[in-house]
Amino acid sequence: MTHALRISELRKTFGQQQVLDGVGFEVPQGSIMGLLGPNGAGKSTLIRSIMGIVEPDSGTIELNGTLWSRDAVRGIGYLPEERGLYRDMKVGEQAIYFARLKGMERADAVRELKVWFERLEVDGWWDKKVSDISKGMAQKIQFICTLVHKPELLILDEPLSGFDPINARRIIEEVRSLAASGTSILLSTHDMPSVERLCDAVVLIDRGQVVLSGGADELRETGWAGEQEVVFRGNDIAFTNALGALAHLDGIQSDSVEGTRKASIRLRNREQPGDVLHALAEAVDIVEFVKVRPTMESLFIQAVSGTSSTETTP
Amino acid sequence: MKGSLVGAVIGREWRTRVFKKSFLLGTLLMPFLGVGFIALTVMLTEGTETQNLVLVEDTPGLITRMDAASGQFVPRCPGCFPKRDKLEYRFTREAPADSVWKLDGYTALVEFDESVLQNKAGYLVYETSPGMQAKRRIERDLSHAMEHARVLESTELDWTEYQRLKFELNLVDREASDAGSRTEGGGEEIRGFVGFMFSAVLFLVLAVYGGLILRSVVEEKSNRVVEVLIASVRPEELLLGKVVGMGAVALTQIVAWSVLSTAAFTLFQFVFDSGLMPGNMAPGAGEVPADLLTVMAENEFTKILIEINWALMVFSTVVYFVGGYLLYGSLYAVVGASVQSEQEGQGMVFPLIMPLMFAYFFGLQAIENPEMAAFSWLSWFPLTSPVIMLIRVAVGVPMWELALSVALLLLTARFMLWMAGRAYRHGVLAGDSTSGWKLLLQWVRGNGG
Repeated sequence: MTHALRISELRKTFGQQQVLDGVGFEVPQGSIMGLLGPNGAGKSTLIRSIMGIVEPDSGTIELNGTLWSRDAVRGIGYLPEERGLYRDMKVGEQAIYFARLKGMERADAVRELKVWFERLEVDGWWDKKVSDISKGMAQKIQFICTLVHKPELLILDEPLSGFDPINARRIIEEVRSLAASGTSILLSTHDMPSVERLCDAVVLIDRGQVVLSGGADELRETGWAGEQEVVFRGNDIAFTNALGALAHLDGIQSDSVEGTRKASIRLRNREQPGDVLHALAEAVDIVEFVKVRPTMESLFIQAVSGTSSTETTP
Repeated sequence: MKGSLVGAVIGREWRTRVFKKSFLLGTLLMPFLGVGFIALTVMLTEGTETQNLVLVEDTPGLITRMDAASGQFVPRCPGCFPKRDKLEYRFTREAPADSVWKLDGYTALVEFDESVLQNKAGYLVYETSPGMQAKRRIERDLSHAMEHARVLESTELDWTEYQRLKFELNLVDREASDAGSRTEGGGEEIRGFVGFMFSAVLFLVLAVYGGLILRSVVEEKSNRVVEVLIASVRPEELLLGKVVGMGAVALTQIVAWSVLSTAAFTLFQFVFDSGLMPGNMAPGAGEVPADLLTVMAENEFTKILIEINWALMVFSTVVYFVGGYLLYGSLYAVVGASVQSEQEGQGMVFPLIMPLMFAYFFGLQAIENPEMAAFSWLSWFPLTSPVIMLIRVAVGVPMWELALSVALLLLTARFMLWMAGRAYRHGVLAGDSTSGWKLLLQWVRGNGG
């Protein structure tokens, strides 16, 4: 299978500091890959290496099955974390300029930009200077500039920063829509809810190395350590006795539903939830028995610092 | 290198600057201000010269005699006091009190006694100064008349014979070429000054537009636009587009100034020669107003302006601008890419443009002696030739030297552009931790890639 992006053994050193230490992963075509990592993990250097802004010391970068080249990079849509627009230039002229640098003819650029400006409701700002528009508006314009040339691969570095919740949702919808139409996306962000909502797969980098990678569901499944949530009616002691050696009880509390109790348990053997359910059902009246898979945030924290938190997933 | 991408960068640099109000205003106003300055000079020379009626008190009777027919004192040498539009003389042996001659309509009184022939001094008395030009004319006319008196007093010669025998050698310059032909020479100082004016303008344009490149690169670096640009364009292409684009702005301004100045001067000349200007009305029926070029030739400053070979000088300025600009513009861009702020860049630029500044000050000295050997060497050396060679072009320079100088400049500029592209790439992509000379040294040591 040809990947939109394949990185192998990428290394980069700045002075004495090894910023990238053998990083490797793939972005399948048409997928949204989350690039995660704590501050200083090497994400920006990795992205800048892909974009040819930083020259890696060793390793390979393939774009659509061919080795990295400046011409291939020109086809990528890149939204850097630190946004940059010319303050004294008119919005429309600026967008046309960026499109032309991506190889578009002026007339095509104007036509496509008008469509996107209307779609993201910024068409009234075409003739305004960047210095006269709000930060959120400038973010939208830069987002449009990133994808106007219909790139096959989009690299978005913190695309939601600076957006209010309504516009953030709007951008998420656009990113989803682009992926659905076949665009491959590498999404670098610290916003875990958007990773949950958008990403098909994630790669987590820490201290210049990949510490976790794979499909989002697969990772959450792999990271599941037997956590279950049980809603029941009955006696707490009977419930605890029934758990016996099968699971560890983390706690019991009153549920919002009248007369029910909610218990958090951890199976001693994660392969046998059915055995536990059967044993509990003989002691109390079971209302719900749900698997609690880890959140992306907890996986992130666990991978980076060794602690964990979870989220209920029926 | 993708031409269309470089073209897009050039187009942006050109459009964003040329369509700015400040640029349009400066470009449109400058030629008219320049011609206005010339017009003002001419009008001050001509239009503001007041009518002067001067009473000459010739107590010793050196230069005047009583004319029996008119009963008035008249000059012994009538030709010494030529008819002038705005200067008339009356003569007397004894002038009345100041209040009286002023009431009689005289604007000034000239007083001298017998000692004038020895000490060559007299008095010009007035209520309001007749002006420098009128004063010079009065001095010249009276000197002439005194000379006439001395000739009559101390020689057997009559005035006409003296005038015939009087001898003033005038050396006309001719330059002998190696080919054996001779061409008109001389006037080096004035021509050198003209060349220096052009080189001074070039120096300013190089400094101003170099500064604009520096500011533009620093701005792109600080607002992070460069990160988006480098993702699409090679740093070398970006540098080339930026330098050429900004240079195109400067050339646009130079061409616009040339065309508009010519148009404004032609208009001024037409108005002046038609006698429509105040101060240049036709004096009377049947008389014609003075023509502008004649009037300008009479003034030391405006005389220089009509002696300039404008076509040659503008052409040379453009050629040396292109070479000099590519060379120094590249340096400014490299500095811009190596620093975090414009202020830091200005500090770094100073030593780099030292050769140009040296050339500028050396050019001042060279006006008086344009043939010195060092002057030739500096006019070939690419870092100084844009300023120095323009002075030599104005004075006159062998074609082979001009060709050598231009070739060396353009080759060096091309090399510098290539070097700058690599240094620019290193500088513009470096992080925020290193900047300035340290960053450039890093690149020179071979870490720049």
